[in-house]
Amino acid sequence: MDLSVDQGPGLHQLSITVECAHLRNNTFLKPSPYVEISVDGTNPRKTETVKNTSQPKWNETFTLLVTAQSKINFVVFDRNNFRKDTPVGEKKIELLQLLSHFNGHCENLELTLDLMNENKQSESPAKVGELICVFQGLTVDMSRFPKPGPSATPLTQSNGAESAPPPRTVLNGVRAKVRGSGTENAAPERRPARPSASSPASTPVANGIGPPATVPNGNVVQNGEAEEGRSEEPLPPGWEMRFDTYGRRYYVDHNTRSTSWERPQPLPSGWEMRRDPRGRVYYVDHNSRTTTWQRPNSERLEHFQQWQGQRQHIVQQGNQRFLYPQFQPGPYPGTSVVVEDDDDGLGSLPPGWEKRVQPEGRVYFVNHKNRTTQWEDPRTQGRERIDDVPLPAGWEIRYTEDGKRYFVDHNTKTTTFEDPRPGAPKGPKGVYGVPRAYERSFKWKISQFRFLCQSNALPSHIKIQVTRQTLFEDSFHTIMRLPAYELRRRLYIIFKGEEGLDYGGVSREWFFLVSHEALNPMYCLFEYANKNNYSLQINPASYVNPEHLTYFKFIGRFIAMALYHGRFIYSGFTMPFYKRMLGKKLVMKDIESIDPEFYNSLVWIKENNIDECGLELYYSVDFEILGQVVHHELKKNGDKEKVTEENKEEYLTLMTEWRMTRGIEQQTQAFLDGFNEVVPIEWLKYFDERELELLLCGMQEIDVDDWNRHTIYRHYTRSSKPVVWFWQFVRQSDNEKRARLLQFVTGTCRVPVGGFAELMGSNGPQKFCIEKVGKESWLPRSHTCFNRLDLPPYKSYEQLVEKLTYAIEETDTFGQE
Amino acid sequence: MAATRRLQKELGDIRNSGLKSFRDIQVDETNILTWQGLIVPDNPPYNKGAFKIEINFPAEYPFKPPKINFKTKIYHPNIDEKGQVCLPIISAENWKPATKTDQVIQALVALVNEPEPEHPLRADLAEEYLKDKKKFTKNAEEFTKKHSEKRPTD
Repeated sequence: MDLSVDQGPGLHQLSITVECAHLRNNTFLKPSPYVEISVDGTNPRKTETVKNTSQPKWNETFTLLVTAQSKINFVVFDRNNFRKDTPVGEKKIELLQLLSHFNGHCENLELTLDLMNENKQSESPAKVGELICVFQGLTVDMSRFPKPGPSATPLTQSNGAESAPPPRTVLNGVRAKVRGSGTENAAPERRPARPSASSPASTPVANGIGPPATVPNGNVVQNGEAEEGRSEEPLPPGWEMRFDTYGRRYYVDHNTRSTSWERPQPLPSGWEMRRDPRGRVYYVDHNSRTTTWQRPNSERLEHFQQWQGQRQHIVQQGNQRFLYPQFQPGPYPGTSVVVEDDDDGLGSLPPGWEKRVQPEGRVYFVNHKNRTTQWEDPRTQGRERIDDVPLPAGWEIRYTEDGKRYFVDHNTKTTTFEDPRPGAPKGPKGVYGVPRAYERSFKWKISQFRFLCQSNALPSHIKIQVTRQTLFEDSFHTIMRLPAYELRRRLYIIFKGEEGLDYGGVSREWFFLVSHEALNPMYCLFEYANKNNYSLQINPASYVNPEHLTYFKFIGRFIAMALYHGRFIYSGFTMPFYKRMLGKKLVMKDIESIDPEFYNSLVWIKENNIDECGLELYYSVDFEILGQVVHHELKKNGDKEKVTEENKEEYLTLMTEWRMTRGIEQQTQAFLDGFNEVVPIEWLKYFDERELELLLCGMQEIDVDDWNRHTIYRHYTRSSKPVVWFWQFVRQSDNEKRARLLQFVTGTCRVPVGGFAELMGSNGPQKFCIEKVGKESWLPRSHTCFNRLDLPPYKSYEQLVEKLTYAIEETDTFGQE
Repeated sequence: MAATRRLQKELGDIRNSGLKSFRDIQVDETNILTWQGLIVPDNPPYNKGAFKIEINFPAEYPFKPPKINFKTKIYHPNIDEKGQVCLPIISAENWKPATKTDQVIQALVALVNEPEPEHPLRADLAEEYLKDKKKFTKNAEEFTKKHSEKRPTD
């Protein structure tokens, strides 16, 4: 190869459609031909085989990465089932020569290639047929390349002359014509015919129609055209610009058969678009040798790099996480389970569950979905049972928005969470027959959960064999191939080539690595909620991956396995997601952590009289996903029903529900299905959402000095009494309490890799902040998207401890208002 | 679209109010989420010209605020070279669903007339404005003459 020329601007995409061939057939048997295309002798791509014909039609399109100097070789083979496939004929094209004929453009360019038989027997190569293919989507700025020679002088004389020119011989044995366009010149038809485009001012350099950025001399582009030119960078292959009935511009991607309002960016260098055997489009990143379904753009690439940067810390992080050592099952509350009638007032069992009685009369429950049994009634597991004992006169039971029970005393016009009935599970004993204070403790809940896991363990083990390079796919296939209940057998993880016994260390690493992989932005499955860099939520655009629901099911199974086997995952989900796992109702406050702007608007509507301010709201709503606006009616005929002061509560409820589920319902369901197959979701009901995060991610040693150093104050100073007491409280707390406090304020129990200095809020870096708010009778409140604790000016250390402890242990909105 | 009725009403109100400082409002009847108009400031050094702006409303309007962009170049401490402007009334913290575009435009016109060098987007201009007002005014005037749109005659 002649390397004396400029190496050129690097890789380009070229789309080649192999249409058909006309083969001369001298023998009695017809061939079964297929075509192999290779660029510079590497990475051959093949068409399907067409059986028994000398007039094969393929119509297959390939996207290849080429440089302007690439040589593309076409070989037609005859498929043979018993021997090596024999080449019928071949032709090599030097791209640079072709490009110089067409001023750097291959757009709708039909090529007829003479197939030559380079057979050893025959002395001189003979023409054995013709291959017809179409080149598309390649534009190279030819000003960077010296003219190859007089034979390849651009043919300008035919510019716009005849209406349907015959194919011209451009190379030896190659004829070419531009399809569907009257001219032979590569004047791009997508550029609106502006007078300046064909004006004499366009020097030879301006023939390079690439983006102005590649024009070496800025002065060639006329002033005023520069800005427009930038936005008219050619569309990537297969894209088309259209106007809808309203005259709005949009873009059609014929590759994926999707549309977008945004003009697509060209693929970054080293990327290629391909199609899988089922015709679905995906993108290959030759830089990292990975693939993705979603078209890459600079933002996504940035996320990817950030994600990749985490890799080096994963194992180290994994070794730092801990929870309480695994307990022996505590006093099991067998005696508190009462044999109940079928009509026990609790409604029917969840689907797949059955109630059975042991020979000695003890009732137990079978979950057929995942072949587990347990003593607890899944309907009341983790919940307080409602007693039949009547309330004292003047009392009433009510439920918070979250479904938590509280009691109204109409006599004194007060409310309380304490059950006023004598003998109710308050005071020393809780519903599980153990002291209530203990029952509340996270340790006790864990031991309950562990006991259920142990009593449903299966003998023997399963092997999961993975290669580090293909970790996610290998794990996916193994786990989805096995019946779900088998995933409760002991795990035996093998990294290929690193065989060793798995006594826990390997599987700990595997859980950490796979959970980190699942967040790979290129899989498009999860996204970071807000700019808050720690918590994940389902990506509503995950449907760009056609298999996304299967993957969510896989991740559901995987997360259940992590809990079941007592392993941690790298990064946790958002609090609303955990609430959803626990079947808790999502409330307005939950929106704050994922979309504070939207939340503030809802709060404003709730707190203000809206009749007089012309909001013009109706029971319908829009949102944008991948550039498309999706319209949704909150109820039937919602487009016609106006929101008023009177009905706004209903509207806010419906809006909350919609905001928390929009675009992610199917994915969530797939995740929960997968989870439930391995671990009944009822087993989680001992925990609240914050405990679930701790259980799943583990705790880590929290450096209080670092925390203190990187905390800021509003309306307090470092030496204000409540602030001093706050730090005294933190230092005297154990790790669990510190983690919970952190979780209360920042929304997660995890500290960034770089320590508290790198704490992020919803709008970028946001240090831990303590603000003086309210009166001493108030509870502390938090704003997780700003990492802010509203700490009232308490009068004593004891008061601060009491209020703060209550706030961080109480997950209901009372603590967070 | 959910925001259509609200925006139609706002647009009608603004057109009827006959604002002197915001004119030539152009809205593609088919895409009410994008408005264009001409800001006509009263105060020197900007009163020699007019400035084209574009207002983009998100699909989730009025739950999310609109965004404003200057299409005409302007020499102003609070408006950057790309035409972005930092207007508190439409910031994430201050936005209220009852805020009207009319109020947003008035806040914008006020900001153009009276720059706020304490919260600059262009620190160089803010410094010039504070340290050498005369030079700033001269530069801004020249810049306005060269780049701004023609003021409506009526």
